[in-house]
Amino acid sequence: MQAFLKGATVQAARPQKDKAVVGPSAEKKAKAVPWVEKYRPKCVDEVAFQEEVVAVLKKSLEGADLPNLLFYGPPGTGKTSTILAAARELYGPELYRQRVLELNASDERGIQVVRDKVKNFAQLTVAGTRPDGKSCPPFKIIILDEADSMTAPAQAALRRTMEKESRTTRFCLICNYISRIIEPLTSRCSKFRFKPLANQIQEERLLEICEKENLKYTKESIAALVRVSEGDLRKAITFLQSAARLNVDKEITDCAVIEIAGVSWTSFMIDNLLQICFRGTFEKLEVAVRNMVDEGYAATQILTQLHECVIEQDLSDKQKSTITEKMAVVCKCLSDGADEYLQLLSLCSVIMQEASHN
Amino acid sequence: MNKLSVADKATERRANHWVDPSFIDLREECSSLSGRRNGNPVLCSKAEMKKKRKREASASYLLKESSQLDQNEPWVEKYSPRSQAELAVHKKKIEEVEKWIRVHTNTKSGILLLTGPSGCGKTATVRVLSLEMGLRVQEWISPTNLEAYSSSHEWRMNGFSSSSQSSQFQDFLLRANKYNCLKMAGDGGVTHSKLILVEDLPNQFYRQPGALHEILRGFVRTSQCPLVFIVSDSLSGDSSSRFLFPKDIQEELGISSISFNPVAPTAMMKVLTCISTQEAAKSCRSVCVPDQTLLETLCSGSSGDIRSAINSLQFSCLSTDSCTSVETGLWRTKKDRSLCRAGSTTSQRKKKSKQEEELAIGGKDASLFLFRALGKILHCKREKHERADGAEGGCGRGLPSHLLHHHRAALLVDPELVVERSHMSGEFFSLYLHQNYLDFFCEVEDVERASEYLSDADLLTADWMNRSVLGDYGSSVATRGLLHSNSQQASVGFRALHKPSWLLVNKKHWENCVAAQSLFRSFCLTPVSLQTELLPYLAKLTNPMRNQDQITFIQDVGQMSLRRFSSRLKPEALTDKESGELEMDSEEEEKEVKEAGGAEEGLPASQPQPTLNQVLLEDEDLIIEEYISD
Amino acid sequence: MSLWVDKYRPSSLGKVDFHKEQAAQLKKLVQCGDFPHLLVYGPSGAGKKTRIMCLLRELYGPGVEKLRIEHQTIVAPSKKKIEINTIASNYHLEVNPSDAGNQDRVVIQELIKTVAQSQQIQSSTQRDFKVVLLTEVDRLTKDAQHALRRTMEKYMATCRLILCSTSTSKVIGPIRSRCLAIRVPLPSIEEVCSVLTSVCKKEGLVLPPELAKQISEKSGRNLRKALLMCEACRVQQYPFSVDQDVPETDWEVYLRETANAIVSQQTPQRLLEVRARLYELLTHCIPPEIIMKCLVKELLNNCDGQLKTEVAHIAAYYEHRLQLGSKAIYHLEAFTAKFMAIYKKFMEDGLDAMMF
Repeated sequence: MQAFLKGATVQAARPQKDKAVVGPSAEKKAKAVPWVEKYRPKCVDEVAFQEEVVAVLKKSLEGADLPNLLFYGPPGTGKTSTILAAARELYGPELYRQRVLELNASDERGIQVVRDKVKNFAQLTVAGTRPDGKSCPPFKIIILDEADSMTAPAQAALRRTMEKESRTTRFCLICNYISRIIEPLTSRCSKFRFKPLANQIQEERLLEICEKENLKYTKESIAALVRVSEGDLRKAITFLQSAARLNVDKEITDCAVIEIAGVSWTSFMIDNLLQICFRGTFEKLEVAVRNMVDEGYAATQILTQLHECVIEQDLSDKQKSTITEKMAVVCKCLSDGADEYLQLLSLCSVIMQEASHN
Repeated sequence: MNKLSVADKATERRANHWVDPSFIDLREECSSLSGRRNGNPVLCSKAEMKKKRKREASASYLLKESSQLDQNEPWVEKYSPRSQAELAVHKKKIEEVEKWIRVHTNTKSGILLLTGPSGCGKTATVRVLSLEMGLRVQEWISPTNLEAYSSSHEWRMNGFSSSSQSSQFQDFLLRANKYNCLKMAGDGGVTHSKLILVEDLPNQFYRQPGALHEILRGFVRTSQCPLVFIVSDSLSGDSSSRFLFPKDIQEELGISSISFNPVAPTAMMKVLTCISTQEAAKSCRSVCVPDQTLLETLCSGSSGDIRSAINSLQFSCLSTDSCTSVETGLWRTKKDRSLCRAGSTTSQRKKKSKQEEELAIGGKDASLFLFRALGKILHCKREKHERADGAEGGCGRGLPSHLLHHHRAALLVDPELVVERSHMSGEFFSLYLHQNYLDFFCEVEDVERASEYLSDADLLTADWMNRSVLGDYGSSVATRGLLHSNSQQASVGFRALHKPSWLLVNKKHWENCVAAQSLFRSFCLTPVSLQTELLPYLAKLTNPMRNQDQITFIQDVGQMSLRRFSSRLKPEALTDKESGELEMDSEEEEKEVKEAGGAEEGLPASQPQPTLNQVLLEDEDLIIEEYISD
Repeated sequence: MSLWVDKYRPSSLGKVDFHKEQAAQLKKLVQCGDFPHLLVYGPSGAGKKTRIMCLLRELYGPGVEKLRIEHQTIVAPSKKKIEINTIASNYHLEVNPSDAGNQDRVVIQELIKTVAQSQQIQSSTQRDFKVVLLTEVDRLTKDAQHALRRTMEKYMATCRLILCSTSTSKVIGPIRSRCLAIRVPLPSIEEVCSVLTSVCKKEGLVLPPELAKQISEKSGRNLRKALLMCEACRVQQYPFSVDQDVPETDWEVYLRETANAIVSQQTPQRLLEVRARLYELLTHCIPPEIIMKCLVKELLNNCDGQLKTEVAHIAAYYEHRLQLGSKAIYHLEAFTAKFMAIYKKFMEDGLDAMMF
């Protein structure tokens, strides 16, 4: 990730992707960089929408001490970007490598690693100035990305290290679910919740990228992107890049976006399915569900969309609650790996039952 | 070797020969000791029970000796069988052994291996038969090496004792084999035949069975008289006989093997009644004759171990004696209480107290044979209907009307106890139940609920991380679920029980899947589409590009004969004597030996499980290992 | 002589028989050079693998078709050896990591690392990255998927991944968002028909349109199955007749008979027979999930109205348990027993209603 980041900062913000196919002789930075990396915020100010944490980090940039941090929130809300940007600003590109240790789930993170790697890194003392003479805080930062996938023993091992090294090291834990971090750790950190990005903000960012990449787009396609990404800016940018790759020199339409997202709502399939649930027979329902699965749509996706539609349907609260409860069950089963067809069929037949009570 | 039986034997010998004089002085202390122990059997935890029972067995001798100065002999010795008729062993078994001895005293060679649970009359049979046939029995008794212990320094230095034990054993065999006893010759040549009996082998051989095999090979070459080994099996399955005398050695050395069953309750009752009447006749003053129910309790509590049954009998007769009246009184009242409670609704507790009482006096770990354990669950014995009517007031009233159909009469068995005593993991026990439960149900509605409970139980134990915690709950759900859902509890009479086919099916499934993957790798398909699409159609096509292995495999797996009805899977019937131990193919057995070691390493604090479980659940074991090593 | 399925598999993106627009898009993707990680998903028999192979050919030329099967041994950090089979050309490596069971994480990390580090030596190849093709990604453990997300980024420079999966439901979000997702739906009935007809034409056979339609309907739009069926028809009888029986697989017929047995009688004894049949299916390598699914399908055909809803519920319920549990037979049997009970009740109620 550091390598990617470095590339992103050194190179100009000009589109690079068209030159990517140059072969071994091309210089390193010509490698295609995912836009997500390319457009990561470079400084804390660029971080969108997360005012509280930005305020705290800014203070520490002005020289105040930094507490241990715990960032949590849904994916794509800028948790990693924020801390990386802050670290970059704090240390500058030269010191960055010495001062920041980033570990995430795919690195080995058993107890042993926490004990050795983290400790060794934490034990080095650092000076309070940068080589270029500017002052910088006299501590290092250890970023533990995806901390919720650390085992409980490893987390427990961490808490002692955290206290012991507090003189020279600040920890930044990043996770999606705060409930999976053990209590002693959460109590040692200042917690910041990252909210899903507001549509307005997302749209601005996406438009900015489109400008920079010289993309042809429609207003609808941007709106569709915002809609399918559900507050996850990374997803939105990835979708945008995918759409751009598949539609070289063509206008990016909302259909393209929707196809890439694997979403099926404009294709009236969901509406169609609901209509069958409300009026059709079980046989028709079977065929419809079968078709959806055959078309390759992911059941989780269909579930989300069905959920949105059902909420707006003209049903009593009781009926809606019965249906959504079933949805919760189906969602759990799907994540356990249950068969999509059977689960969807079961869900739809609940909707059908409820609708028939009208 | 089974610890219990070792202890039993040691106790016996000690009581007989060496220690009893010194213990007579200690009689006061002994009685008070055992009194204390028996005073509070209820408080003893189950783990302690085993130890305690062992101690009690020895205590019973001591007590008896202290109270009856005229008879220093334990009843086990006193009433040891003198003739075939007195043996509590099945006629056929006796005949079998007799035949063997007859044949081999003539040929003056041969090795016989007698196996069976402890106290089923193996030694008695050999002794009685040799007595009747006029054979002299020369018995190996492991030397105690007292000097080796005193000069322990030297002993430790050169491992003198252990090596000497085995060499002593070798010497013994050699000498016993070669030389006839001089005294015998003096006796007037009544008999020249003799029999070497080996009951406890030097410990060395348990570590290195190879050494024993070497000695035996030497013996077979120069053999001049038959040799009989007696090895006790244990229910917990660490069958030393298989370890000491593996199949190939048995074949190589021509060892014949006869396995004894536990003493049948009827035979046991006969013996017990006989002893108690004789005792009563002899001294009606000091010995109180136990009533029939007590004998039955003893009989069932000893689970086919006649030695322990007689010991308990002796003890229980004595305990009604004046000197130990305190605990007897306590015991009596408890029994009485339990008896009068039999009709009451709280039979669950009654049953428990009865259980404890059995344990308190029965000197034997009351293990259940699998067959009986399964029967207890499957036959679903509940209190009789008229009693249940009486109980309606107690139980039925508690339930609201819409739940009334869930009312059941009180159970006569404690499912958890049954599972525990079957010496099997709950998971495995559930498999047995699953294999057999359908035969005992007659309503499909009941089956529906029963099968759901089994499914629940599987779900509980599916996750390896929680298995150790949830395993017990899983088996509770399975057993209690089955008991509860069997609402009709129609008596189905005798049903043959079968061993679970699932293990075999599952094994075959995976083997076939792996084979399919490796044989048809060149098609580059995912396993599912390979197995469900390509293979079945390949079976229908005439495609000449396949090699012989592939053709055979396709014929085997790709095709299904539609008329054929599960010809492959004949469930193996379970016989009543089997204690959760399957007869395995020799090949599987080898694997077992290999795996048992590996599996045990992987499982921290692994209990001495039945070997069977280790084999059959080895997949799970291996998974655990993987996770640990991860 | 190879199977029709393999013989007439299109070898380039220009020649695929359906989803032509998508193929054109993929072609463009290759041409523009900025090749991302791909996640190709769609039901079985939709042509995912075919498209991936075409794509690879487009990337590297015909060299990718020289495949060799390799047996690799990977040593996990815990010194445990894992054996896995891979299919490789000079340019790509195909592996099914779920073969390694719980060790899939190690397999993925090690394999990708090796591939990424062995840089292409021949300068003649026009790509500076290799491709690792992971099949059955939906069966990867969560652990492995999490590991993948970092590995993907780390070795992006020298290695691209193509993930192949039947559904994205079981692929975690972070991976989905790092890949360009390509959905491959099943071909429509008409598309299947036209493929069948053209294949037969190439074989010099005449396929009546009615039979083609029948086959494609029976195959459930699964093209691989349709082609196998068609070839089996050819073996069965030629010239084709319009009303020819399309041969089904033995296990499907067997399962249908099982379903009939369940419907015709609901007693514990019958359940015992059904269990024996389920065992038989399992020993013939039919995965329990498939048994469950097909059994449900057959049973649904045998009941109506309100009952179907109930069956759908219990099917979903027990199929879920099947995934979680360790011994499939418990759940298959519980499902059958449940079905028997509700079916019996339904029939009895129906009978009562008729009487009064």
